Formats: sequence, C-alpha cells, structure tokens
Amino acid sequence: MPTRPLMWIASAILISLSHSPVVFAEASEALWPVVKEAFFAGKNIEPADFIRLEGPRRAESGAQVPVTLTIDKAPDAPDAIKKVYLIVDANPIPLAAIYHFTPLNGKAQISTRIRMETDSYIHAVGETADGKLYMTALPIRAAGGCGGLVDSDEAAIRATAGKMKVNLEEPIKFGEPNPATLLIKHPMFTGLQRDLASGGYRPAFYIQKVELTYNGKPVMHVDLGVGTSEDPYLRFFYRPDAPGVMDIKATDNEGKEFTHQVEVKG
Amino acid sequence: MTPMLQNVLLILVMALATPAWAEPLPVKEVAAGVYVHQGAHEDLDAGYHGDICNIGFVVGSKGVAVIDSGGTLDVGRRLREAIRKITDLPILYVINTHVHPDHIFGNAAFREDNPVYVGHAKLPEAMERRKESYMRNNMAWLGEAFAGSEMIKPTRTVDGTLELDLGGRTLQLTAWPPAHTHADLTVLDRATATLWTGDLLFVERTPSMDGDTLNWIKLIPQLKALPAARAIPGHGTPTEQWQAAFDNQQRYFQVLLDDLRAAIKKGVPMEKAMETAAAGEKAHWVLFDNVNRRNVNLLYPLLEWE
Repeated sequence: MPTRPLMWIASAILISLSHSPVVFAEASEALWPVVKEAFFAGKNIEPADFIRLEGPRRAESGAQVPVTLTIDKAPDAPDAIKKVYLIVDANPIPLAAIYHFTPLNGKAQISTRIRMETDSYIHAVGETADGKLYMTALPIRAAGGCGGLVDSDEAAIRATAGKMKVNLEEPIKFGEPNPATLLIKHPMFTGLQRDLASGGYRPAFYIQKVELTYNGKPVMHVDLGVGTSEDPYLRFFYRPDAPGVMDIKATDNEGKEFTHQVEVKG
Repeated sequence: MTPMLQNVLLILVMALATPAWAEPLPVKEVAAGVYVHQGAHEDLDAGYHGDICNIGFVVGSKGVAVIDSGGTLDVGRRLREAIRKITDLPILYVINTHVHPDHIFGNAAFREDNPVYVGHAKLPEAMERRKESYMRNNMAWLGEAFAGSEMIKPTRTVDGTLELDLGGRTLQLTAWPPAHTHADLTVLDRATATLWTGDLLFVERTPSMDGDTLNWIKLIPQLKALPAARAIPGHGTPTEQWQAAFDNQQRYFQVLLDDLRAAIKKGVPMEKAMETAAAGEKAHWVLFDNVNRRNVNLLYPLLEWE
C-alpha cells in the first residue's frame, strides 16, 4: 500500500474539513481526483457498468454502512476482474478494503459494512489480470463513523478479538456459486479514535488480511483497511465442487493469526 | 448631537448590552408545581429545530429544579423565561436525564443562576465521548440556531440514588444501568408521585436505541414498579397510563428482536431486515421508518453474535 500518499491525503482532507464551515455538504466529487492519484497515480480508469455498488442513499449509522459490490462478469472470464478496491473518498483513511477474487468464487459479489466519517462518494475500482482499471461510484450521506472516543479495556478487547463465525446458506449446491457469511469479532480501531483514559489516540488495531481456501485451494483473499466496520462482516460466494472444508485465516496488523474451519457437507 | 439623538443612541446601546429577550416556552402544569414543555416529534436530522423532547421544571418552596434543558441555548433560555413567569425562586439544579443532544444543549442558559448541574455518574464520560460529533452534527442541522449552545457537564453525579430537597418536596434521582443510553437517570417527585423517565420511556415517538437494549428490556419491570401516579416520558404526552406505555414499548422491542433473530437465522441481510423488521408496529409510532431502520442498524450486528 502507498502509505505515505495516504497519510498525506488523510491530513489534506482533515485540514479541508476543519476549515469548512458546513461539514455536512452533499457528497463531493472534488475529492476523487486527489484520492485517485494517491492510489492509481497517472493511470487511466474507465467508468464501467459491469461494476455495481449498492448502498443506502443516507446511512442510518456511519459506523456500519451496508454496501454490496457486484461484478457482472464471470470470475473465470479471460478479462475477469481480479481485484477490487473499495474506497470512501471523504474518509480520513479512504481505503475500506481490496477484494481479490478467483474462479472458485463462482460469482464476484461482496456485501460488507463500512465506516463513513461524512457524506462521500464511494468508489469501486476493479483491476484485470493485465492491469486495466474500471470503476463505478455511489454517493452516500453519512456521519461520524471513524473518530470519536473508544473504550480502552484492552484485556476484554483482546480476549475476544479474532473470534470467527461462518454461516453457510443451505442447501449447498455443488458446482455452483453458494453464498456464505463470515463474521470476525474485532474492534478495527482506526487510529483516529481518542482514548478516554490516556487522552491520546488509540493506536490502530485491525484485521489486515483474510484468506479463504476450500479443500486447500485459494478461493479469495481480502486486504482490509480500517474503513471496514468493527466486527467485519463479509458475505461472499464460493463454488465447491465436492464436500470438503473451508479454511479461513485472518491476520491483524500486529501479525497475530486467527484461524477457523467449517465443514461443507453434501 | 441633539439630546433626542443621544437618548436614541443610549437606548440602542442598552438594548445591545442586555441579553436577547427570549419568548417563554409554553409549559403545562401536569401536577402541582410540576411543569412540562412538550417538544415536537421531529427527527434528529435535517429539519430538526432543537425542541423535540419533554423538558420542564419542579418548583419547591426553596427553589426550582430544571429537568432537561432542550437542544439549544435558545430553547434553554426560553425555558428559563417560562420559569421566571411562574416564580422568582432561585434555580438550584439543572438535571440531565441522559447525554442526547436534544436534552442537554440548553444547559448554558442557566449558567447565570449558578445551579448544581446533576447527572448520572457516567454522564461526564458519555458527554466527553460525544462532544466532538454532537457539536458538529448540531451545527450542521441547526446552523445559527445552535449558536452559543455548549455541553456543560454535571457538577454533581448520581451513582445509585440521590435526593434533592427543593423545600417542601424532595426529588429522588435514580441512576440506571445501561439501557436507552449508558447513563440514564430518572427523577421522581415524591410530593405528586410524578416520574420523569427521560428517554427510558417513549410515548408516540418510536423508541430509539443507543445503550444496551437487551438490558433496557430487563429493567422495564423495575421501572414499572416505581411508586408513580403519572409519568413524563422523554418524548410524547405525559400520562397516567404510564405502565401501559411501558408495555407498548416492551412490545415493540420484543417484536423487533424476534424479527431480527428470525432474519439472521434465515440469512436475510441487514439491509433487507431494515425494510421488514417490526413492520407491524409501524402504525403505532411516529417517525417509525427513520428510527426503526436505525435501531436495526444498531441491533442486527450485535444479534449476529448470539
């Protein structure tokens, strides 16, 4: 990840917010050129209908904004989208996640919940194997999902962090894309939340990577950012060819690994 | 300068030096010495004017206790004017039932009275946590109308219970475990058996969730057992049928929880559940679509872990 430019846009956006009298203007199109250069400097990104984003027009809670990303193109097509960046333009740290798809997904669709600090466009930028970029954007009105104050009961937080829960939708249809839901217990501290006890900022603490395999073969992996909400939620598709096991490995930004296994029966 | 012009200037200067005169809020005496101003059922969103909840005061022989101060300095000032129309006794206490912005941002209107500001033991922390976002949101919603509004923390806090003597009548304050928020306080005026519930009770308006809803449900029997003849809810019309009002609220909570648990079990995503959960309750409540969706957004991710 290009961390320095990200820090730079984070501060640029914070400064612009602190100088603007009305923070809750409608989602602004003005931020994207800056954000785009930070992630995809000098590259051309083509708007595309086959990438779709769904979300609320106005979020009920900036802390948990439900969004669904769909790629209307088979993940085994020759020009398949291999990875998708999900970016919230106006968040202090814009990257919510990068989803890496494989043909074993069967269908490239992700539902997740993201944080939104203020009204913003969210961008989904898809990349093909040969590096071509396509995008779509959706404006969402929201408030207050990134900052604020957090509890600092470190022991309690660490005791449950990394617990996972998987729900497989049944009946399982072999040879077809099946939906599944993964939940990971984790505070996903943004690094922008103040700690009431110390008065300083609570260091970022988040799940950074999730890897999913089925019978030992990679199905997908996700690079998560702190734009993904507390207790990350991922609804995705996998295509099992036979009964077997789904393995999930999650890694946090301190390098700690958590694993979970689910049996997929006929 | 002519003497007349001098007089005109003098009057102008005096007018500028005195605080703006505020139109007294309409209040209703619901029991002897207990006055309530009932706010409008507007959402906390665009179109919010800072006056949506029940605020008021109790008058004793020694002085006055204010219970919640409204959503802006101006609403607080207008409440103060309403008090001054009724009594010249000192304003001894300003009690906040919880942290929500519609209940606390009028606090500064009473600063000149030098009252004791009273709240739940966890209220100062709750205020600190939300200060930044509340100031920002309320500025955005209210603009100029929010000018001068401040978050004033309690100078005396309640852990358990506290009695306040107003002269000839005693208010009994009770601090509750997490329910509507993490710092809810009720005020019982023993003289008239009038219970100020804060937002532990909603009448008409869809109950909104923030603290610990499952615990709130568990507390309802205890709240219903309080020795009161009437209740002043956080929102909606004060009522003598207050125990039935708690039952209505309980029914909404239970229907919503049942629907959400069923949705989670069936794999119905949160977005869909927002449309359908507790739909049968819609006819019973004001602002149902907005508030119920927010409640789903809060509850669903928690219930997924059950």
